[in-house]
Parts: sequence; structure tokens; C-alpha cells
Amino acid sequence: MIKTKKYVNIILILTILLLVFVAGCSVTGGGGCSGTQAQGWSGFTVYKQDLCFGSMEGKVIAIDPQARTDNKTFPADTEWVYQIKTSSPGAACGPMCSPSSSAAGVGIYDTPISVDDLIYVGSYSGKIYAINAVKGMIRWVYPREGLDTIGAIVGNMVTDGKSLYFGSSDSKIYSLDAVTGDFNWDFQTSSKIWTGPAIDNGVIYAGNYGGDIYAISADTGKQIWSIKIPSALSSPITVSGDTIYFGTFDRYLYALDKATGQEKWKITGGNWFWAQPLIAGGKIYAPCLDQKLYTLDPASGQELWEFTADAPIVAPAAISGNNLYMISDKGTLYKLDAGSGALVNTNSVEFTVYSPIYASGDMVYVYARDHNVYAVDTAQSTIVWKFSSYLK
Amino acid sequence: MVDIWNIVILNPMLNGLIALSEVCFKNFGLAIIVLTIAVRLVLTPLTVRQTQSTKAMQLLQPKLQEIQKKYARDQQKMQQEVMKLYKEAGINPLGCIWPMLIQMPIWIALYQSIMQALAATPENLLMLSQHLYAWDMVGNAIPLNEEFLGLRLSQPDPTLIFAILVGVTMWVQQKMVTPPPTDAQQQQMSSMTTLMMPLMFSFFTLSFPSGLALYWVVSNIIGIGIQYIVGGGWGYFTLPFLKPRGAAPGTKSSQDVKALKSGNEKKKG
Repeated sequence: MIKTKKYVNIILILTILLLVFVAGCSVTGGGGCSGTQAQGWSGFTVYKQDLCFGSMEGKVIAIDPQARTDNKTFPADTEWVYQIKTSSPGAACGPMCSPSSSAAGVGIYDTPISVDDLIYVGSYSGKIYAINAVKGMIRWVYPREGLDTIGAIVGNMVTDGKSLYFGSSDSKIYSLDAVTGDFNWDFQTSSKIWTGPAIDNGVIYAGNYGGDIYAISADTGKQIWSIKIPSALSSPITVSGDTIYFGTFDRYLYALDKATGQEKWKITGGNWFWAQPLIAGGKIYAPCLDQKLYTLDPASGQELWEFTADAPIVAPAAISGNNLYMISDKGTLYKLDAGSGALVNTNSVEFTVYSPIYASGDMVYVYARDHNVYAVDTAQSTIVWKFSSYLK
Repeated sequence: MVDIWNIVILNPMLNGLIALSEVCFKNFGLAIIVLTIAVRLVLTPLTVRQTQSTKAMQLLQPKLQEIQKKYARDQQKMQQEVMKLYKEAGINPLGCIWPMLIQMPIWIALYQSIMQALAATPENLLMLSQHLYAWDMVGNAIPLNEEFLGLRLSQPDPTLIFAILVGVTMWVQQKMVTPPPTDAQQQQMSSMTTLMMPLMFSFFTLSFPSGLALYWVVSNIIGIGIQYIVGGGWGYFTLPFLKPRGAAPGTKSSQDVKALKSGNEKKKG
């Protein structure tokens, strides 16, 4: 009898462990047991001397690198912070999320863009914000009403200076007036959009998770052409010359004719081409989650050289002068000769990095998953300063 | 340890599930149902053994209580008598634990596979890349079509339907195997276990992706089916319109134990 009780106890303990395991998963906001909440991975945009980025706490922050070097108290001079309100249920929220719940997901994946004195950013909770770049005050929000949202915005916005264009998880591509935030048009696609579009000569190129690629008139929102490919887009689209480039979930990097959507070439990698391909100096720099940076000839897709990092490369590469910078998701920052691919040096922020980096001269700015912005002087191989976006 | 778990158990199941969704007309909901059924079928021998052992243990309860009363002051003798009873009935007390222990990693892997494949957030999608095989079938299926019966499987069910279904099916399954309590303390324990688990899982369903709730419901329904077939009816679960298919459990314990013993002897022979 005593032994039987012991077995019953074992069953109870196992049940409790299972419940703890299940409960532990629920803390991730439904994101998965080993997953995380929708925190975002915004990169930087520059307004005058300030770097603007979306933080993992749902803030849009402008920091002055010089003020940070001088170790001034934040916010100094031109610096500011704008907190995106968590009042909307958002896209990743079920009936358990109260309207004011922080689990609503205010992560910012969209790297801000600027037009004149406004900074624009889209949030995972399904809103577009236009913020005064000087004072950090809100100018307008879309959708206008407090609780109204469109689908989660994950891909980057693009602009032609008068309008904003972006895709949303509600499967639509939107166009808004950049000055007023008024709705211009929307274009319904067949599936959700988590990758950023590209714009060139009045044409928007966008892809969705149904494997459809669209060319749409920026003025009217009318379709010019569309094609279907076997797999969905894993990376944002890059346009250069007469070609558009993007990665797909079946591990290809595609080059399509931008006028017709016809395939020009495709190459395969060891994993997804997740980051946006960078085109500079007559080369395509395509980071891949197989830890390699592929450098290709844009016309033929022929590989010129490749560089292997110490971990998957999630963030796009950046160019400054003759140097190419790329960062692995382990936080190792590589400085390469952009022409030959020769390694100049490496630095590390010693933390996971998903966000796009920003390079200016020898300085590289990195927003890591430890919520810190690192200013790395690659000439001196030192971290000049770091800035916590927690802002405690 | 995590790597071994991923390579040996999680990754094959995850990739299998994603490939299955491609076969199931790009319908991930259907893939969850098919894989849950397949896994439960593969594990049926273990489940049946667990069910039989549990039933046999329950049938012995009156005898055990008798021994407990009789040797209340002599623990050693009581243990000897209990073991003798188990031996006579041909029951291994661990018989209902090992099948459960073997099944647990598989259930956890299936559970993790569904959660990871659904990739509810962009971060989850990014993490998924490190678990996938370079199969065209898998590449073409990602990201999964999460629409199923009007639901988005990566999001919690906005209605209460799945929460109720999860709770009710789990409660029925529990009630089928939980014997009626013999005293007040047991009654309290019994009520706790049969009610708390379904309530907790119903609560989880409100904040978990509905794909996981779908898996729970299907798994519970199959569990009820197996219990019904192996246990010979609705077991201890009674509703006015449900008549037990076999003998009411606990009423003919000595005959049942004899039958069990004779069955076990036949098997040995």
C-alpha cells in the first residue's frame, strides 16, 4: 500500500511538472516553449546627428552619438523618446489579453524612416506612427481611432517622399499620405505580409507568405503584374537596375525582371536568405542563415566570393567606404574589404543580434537582444559606449 | 542535452509535421489531426497496457483496503500481503507508470513541434530555421497556412469553443478512470484531480495558439476512444443516458481479479 502511494505520488509529481512546463510556455505569450514574445528588431535611421530606432520595449528613441560619447544624461539636447501605447489588442493577442495588457505585442520590427521632419514607424500592434523628429511628439497615427488597428506590421516601410508604403499581416499593402497620414489606397493580396516591399520609379514590389510577388502602381494601387513562386519570401525585396532580388523559404535567392516578373536566375544557400540583400559597387551581398555571406554578380548570379561567420547571419550587411560590415547572431561583428572579402578585423558585442546595423565611417551601431545599443569603433576595436533602451 | 533532444526527437517530428501539412493539402490543422492520430496509434500498445494496469490496480482496491485494515498495526506484514496480492493477480505495480514515462517525451516533442511550427511571432519563425531539413517539401510549406475551420491556428481561439472542448474532453477522460471515492478525504482528492486539470487546460487554451488546443482535443477524444474499447465501456464516467457496457467497476472485484489472474496465466502459458 505504501509503495502504491509512492507511485501515485510519482504520477502527481510528473503531472505537476507537466503543468509547470505548460505554464512556462504560456509565459511566452503563446510564442512557443523555446520562443519569445514579439519584441521586434528595428534598425536605425538618421535624422541630422541623431540615430532613431524602435526599441524592444515599444519605444521610438532618438539618441545623439556625441551626447552618448560625452556620457550626458539621457535625453540630452536633441534626444527624445516616444512610448508607443499598448492600448490595442494587437495581432498576437487572444481573449486573455486585456486592452491594457503589455502582452499585446508592441514590438517594433520596422526600421524607422524619415521624410523632412517626421520619423515614421510601424508597430507589431498594427499602427503606423508619425513622430516629430525634433521633439519626439506624435504628429499622427494610422488608423486614427485609439483601438482600431490593421494587422501586425513586421516588414519595413518604404517611401517616395510623398507617400508611405507598407505590407501588413492582414494581407494588404497600404499607401498613406506621408504628411497627413490620410489613407491613399490598399491592395488586397492572398496571404499575410511579413517582409518589406521595395519601390522604384513609381512601382511597388511586394511579396507575401502565399508565394505571390506583386508589382503595383504607387500612384493608383493597381496591379501591374503578379507571379507565383514555389515558396514564400523569407527576406525583404531589394531593387536595383532592372532586377528585383529576394530570398525564399526553400533556400533560394531569386533575381526577377522587374518589368515582367520573369526569373533571371536563382541560387541556393544552406538555409534561408533572411536578411535583405545589399547591392553596392556592382555586387550583391546576401547574408544567409547558413552562416555565410554570399557575394554575387547581380547580372548572372555567379558567386564572386563567400565569407563564413561563426553563427547564422540574421541582420543585413552595411557598407561604409570600402568596408563591408556584417554581424552574426552571436554578436560577432566582421569588418571585410568590400571588394575582395578579406577580413579586416572582428569585434563582438557578446550578445545575440537580429537588428540591422548602421555603419558610419569606422563606427558601427548595433542594437543587441540585451536591449543595449553598442557603438563599436572598428578602427580601435573598442566599444565606445553602450546605451540601454530600458531607460530605467 | 538540448542538441540531442532536438536532433533525435524534436527535429524529425517537427519536419515530419510540416511535410505532412504539405501532403494534407497545405492544411496544418489537418496535419495536426493526422499526426496526433498516428502518434496515438503507434503508442496504442503502451496506452492499452497502461489502461489495463490501471484498471487491474483499481480492481484490487477493495482487497487492498481489506489488507490495510487487517494489518494496520504491522506495516511490514501489510507490505508482504500487498505484494503477495499483486503477485497472485499477476500485476506489476510499475505497469501503469512505465508506459506513461515512455510516452511523455513523445508527447512533449509533439507539443513542441506544433508550437514551433506555428511560429506565432517573427522571432519564432526565425528560430524555426535552425530546426528544418533541406527538403523541398518543408521549404515550400513554410510559413504554414494557419487557417483552419475559420481559426488562425497560431492565435488563441477568440471564442470559448476550444476552451470548452478541451475542458470537457479532458474531464470525461479523467472521469472514466477515476473510481468513486470511498471516504471524504479521497473524495476531496478525486474532485481536485478530475476538475483541476481540465480547468487549468481550459484556462491555458484561452492564451495558447488554437493549434495546440486542436491537438489537445483530438488527443483527448482518441484517449476516450481507447479507454472505451480497452476498459469495456465508459468506466466510472456516468451520465443518466449512458449505461455501462460491461460490469460496473468495483462491484465484482473478486471475480474480476480472478478473471484477470486467469487471463495473465493464460498469457504466460
